[in-house]
Amino acid sequence: MMLSKFYSAGLLALALLFAAPAVSRAQTAKYKCMVQMTSYMGEEAYVVISLINPKGGYEKTLYVLGSDKKWYNTLKDWFAFYKQKRTDISAITGASVAGGDRSVNVIELENSKINAGYKIRFEAAVEDKKYNVKDIEIPLTTESLSAKTEGAGGYIRYVRFSPN
Amino acid sequence: MTISVWRYSHLALAVSSFLLLSLAALTGIILAFGPVTEKMQPYRVNNFSDVTLAQALPALRTRYPGITALSVDVNQFVQAKGTGAGEKNPSVYVDPLTGKVLGHPGEENEFFQWVTALHRSLFLHEAGRFFIGLTAFLLLLITVSGTMLVIQRQRGLKRFFTPIVRENFAQFYHVVLGRWSLIPIMIIALTGTYLSLARFGFFDTAHVSPKVDFDVIQAKPVKSPAEFAIFKKTKLSEVESIEFPFSEDVEDYYTLKLRDREVTVNQVTGDILGEVKYPAAVFYTNLSLDLHTGRGSSVWAIILALASGNILFFIYSGFAITFKRLGNRTRNKFTAAESRFIILVGSENGSTFRFAQALNQQLLKAGEKSFVTELNNYARFPKAEHLVVMTATYGLGDAPTNATRLAKLLERYPQSQPISYSVLGFGSHAYPDFCKYAFEVNRLLSHQAWATALTDIHTVDDKSPEHFGLWAEAWSQQSGIPVTMLTGLDLAANARMESLTVTKITPAAQAGGTFTMAFKIGSRLRVRSGDLLAIYPANDHRERLYSIGVVGKEIRLSVRLHPEGLGSGFLHGLTVEQKIRARIVKNEHFHFPGGVPQVVMISNGTGIAPFLGMISQNRKKIPVQLYCGFRQRLTYNLYQDFLEQSAAEGKLAAIHTAFSREGNKQYVSHLIQRDGDKLARLFENGGILMICGSLAMQKDVMELLDAICMEQSGRGVSFYQSRNQVRTDCY
Repeated sequence: MMLSKFYSAGLLALALLFAAPAVSRAQTAKYKCMVQMTSYMGEEAYVVISLINPKGGYEKTLYVLGSDKKWYNTLKDWFAFYKQKRTDISAITGASVAGGDRSVNVIELENSKINAGYKIRFEAAVEDKKYNVKDIEIPLTTESLSAKTEGAGGYIRYVRFSPN
Repeated sequence: MTISVWRYSHLALAVSSFLLLSLAALTGIILAFGPVTEKMQPYRVNNFSDVTLAQALPALRTRYPGITALSVDVNQFVQAKGTGAGEKNPSVYVDPLTGKVLGHPGEENEFFQWVTALHRSLFLHEAGRFFIGLTAFLLLLITVSGTMLVIQRQRGLKRFFTPIVRENFAQFYHVVLGRWSLIPIMIIALTGTYLSLARFGFFDTAHVSPKVDFDVIQAKPVKSPAEFAIFKKTKLSEVESIEFPFSEDVEDYYTLKLRDREVTVNQVTGDILGEVKYPAAVFYTNLSLDLHTGRGSSVWAIILALASGNILFFIYSGFAITFKRLGNRTRNKFTAAESRFIILVGSENGSTFRFAQALNQQLLKAGEKSFVTELNNYARFPKAEHLVVMTATYGLGDAPTNATRLAKLLERYPQSQPISYSVLGFGSHAYPDFCKYAFEVNRLLSHQAWATALTDIHTVDDKSPEHFGLWAEAWSQQSGIPVTMLTGLDLAANARMESLTVTKITPAAQAGGTFTMAFKIGSRLRVRSGDLLAIYPANDHRERLYSIGVVGKEIRLSVRLHPEGLGSGFLHGLTVEQKIRARIVKNEHFHFPGGVPQVVMISNGTGIAPFLGMISQNRKKIPVQLYCGFRQRLTYNLYQDFLEQSAAEGKLAAIHTAFSREGNKQYVSHLIQRDGDKLARLFENGGILMICGSLAMQKDVMELLDAICMEQSGRGVSFYQSRNQVRTDCY
């Protein structure tokens, strides 16, 4: 019996040992995110998807559409945040999007941030055209993550999420 | 200095755009290597053009469940973009049939990106794009004006690719390369302009997606994508990109972006939900991009690189030509009103100014007041005594641009004092209308009451310094101003002096009479009848010229003994066996022509000298008619035996004589009038007329012939002059 107790304790310890990271991983989920652009005239748009905390500040960069760092400073507000932290965003960087096109990417969200007053912000800039801090901003809720959100006259026509 | 409108615009456009143009050309050369290196990647599958969507899409979806989009680039590389978990770069080049990964799209080369931005916008964003677009448009205008210039230069579209006369390196290759790279450069300019206009929204390239009516979307019948009709008939080669349905929901659909339209397809049934054709502007924009960047074709990209290289060369050679022309510009020391010598220039590209300037410098150095200007500035010249006209011919025997108004101005401004004139034509025998306009000016001047010819008209073939020197010698002999030492065109300095021995002399019967003399020709001496003998009677710069007739091994001269004549007195005083220093001046245009059907020779007085030599050399027995005029029969007696002997040998077909102070007092021109029809026919048949003697006689004869030819063939005598059928050597 002792042996089996030992076994149990060992297994538990093992389980705990391996469960710890597993638990923290379990707190995030992946979502497909589609950005559909309007048919504006001009160059391709640079779009940044950020997580905004309940206080209205930048929490985390979720995805960057646009690979040439030269243009990052045109996304003024986000760039101020990015400059401070300089996290590696190479894994969450894709191509810029042209008018009328769409872009589908996978973003990773922590479950704890859902329905907790956080927002997802899409800010966009086009060369020699207007810069929109909140091209679209969506409350981070279970509902919005399974629906389509129409834009408000910016470069983005709508965004759609779906669990990946 | 006026230049034609096309040339002026060509230059003005080039000057205003050359900086940006050099930059664009240089970056363009670099960028051309982009398509070349891309094309070398092995991502295109062999049977690409046969693959349909029905084959490719199911295969790719099975292999990549997370695939969201697919694109086909200009190199026909197929790229799949997905949301496959864990993949850092979700885009891969694939084989569209098997889904096999062929490679990963590399990061765009930062250097190429940098150069592209420079090429497109000079790093100045919108403003830069505007200037580059403007430069492309200016380049378009430059090619158009350049084409017009080539057409003008070659005289007609049909002769666009006929050979070009080479003046110098810059000019020759500017035109030669210009003709060949005209088309690619025009395409670069046109597409560049179009792309800029499109960029600024001048054309409707707005992207309109098909409207999808979600109320009528059917969920039945369910078909496999491989069965969809639209997938079966659409080839991958027609596709630009495909967006896969976002989810499996029936309301999510395929979007096919084809080359010419966008189609949305129900993902369950394969029905077409909507279809929108792109505006034509989209097609032209894509075509312009293909042509401007060479994307998708390494051969065209290389052609574009070469054309861009040529643009750089044109900028260099164009400026080289321009600076050369500017260097030919004149600044006059004296005004037209106070000058004794007026030099009038007719020139299309300014090269004739160099010769005018050389003469001008000489005259100024000699302390004379001289003035150079273009023919269109002809006016009253109150102090003028000498008029020198140096003119080129443009197009089909027309006046150069800065001489177009001469005929009118001559009518409007008759000079109040007598002025002597001399015309020098510039041209090239490579063109049929050799120096035609110069002959025309000579004719115009000869009709002016105030004008007397100082020398016979001379021509300069391909800027030959020898020909120019020939004129300079004749002119300085008549005007008394030494201009043989022409700056940069110096002849006399390296001329070879010959030592000649007198073999015979027949003294003149009286003062003002004619004497003949002969010199022995050494074995090394090359001389032909029609060449000139230059002698230096006082051993200084003063030079006298005599026409040479070569008979046997002797140079024969006929000289009129002028009272106090420097040259004639000197020669008359020589005795047999005496030696003199002299030089032979080659005068090729007045040599006896070979291979022509007929020759007519007209002379008066001592002008018979070269003809005597030519007749004696007429071994092929070309029919030669000689018209010769003298004052008295006594002078003719000097030649009679020789001429009758030649006629008997068949070297001379007919002799026509006129004596102005005896018998019925005829001038040689009377004989010409009598035989006018025969002479007109001579020209028609390709025969040649040679005139040697006094300028007054030449003027009379030419006027007569002009009237006769006009009547007979509708062409003035200058037509035949420019075809080298009239050759003159008068003084």
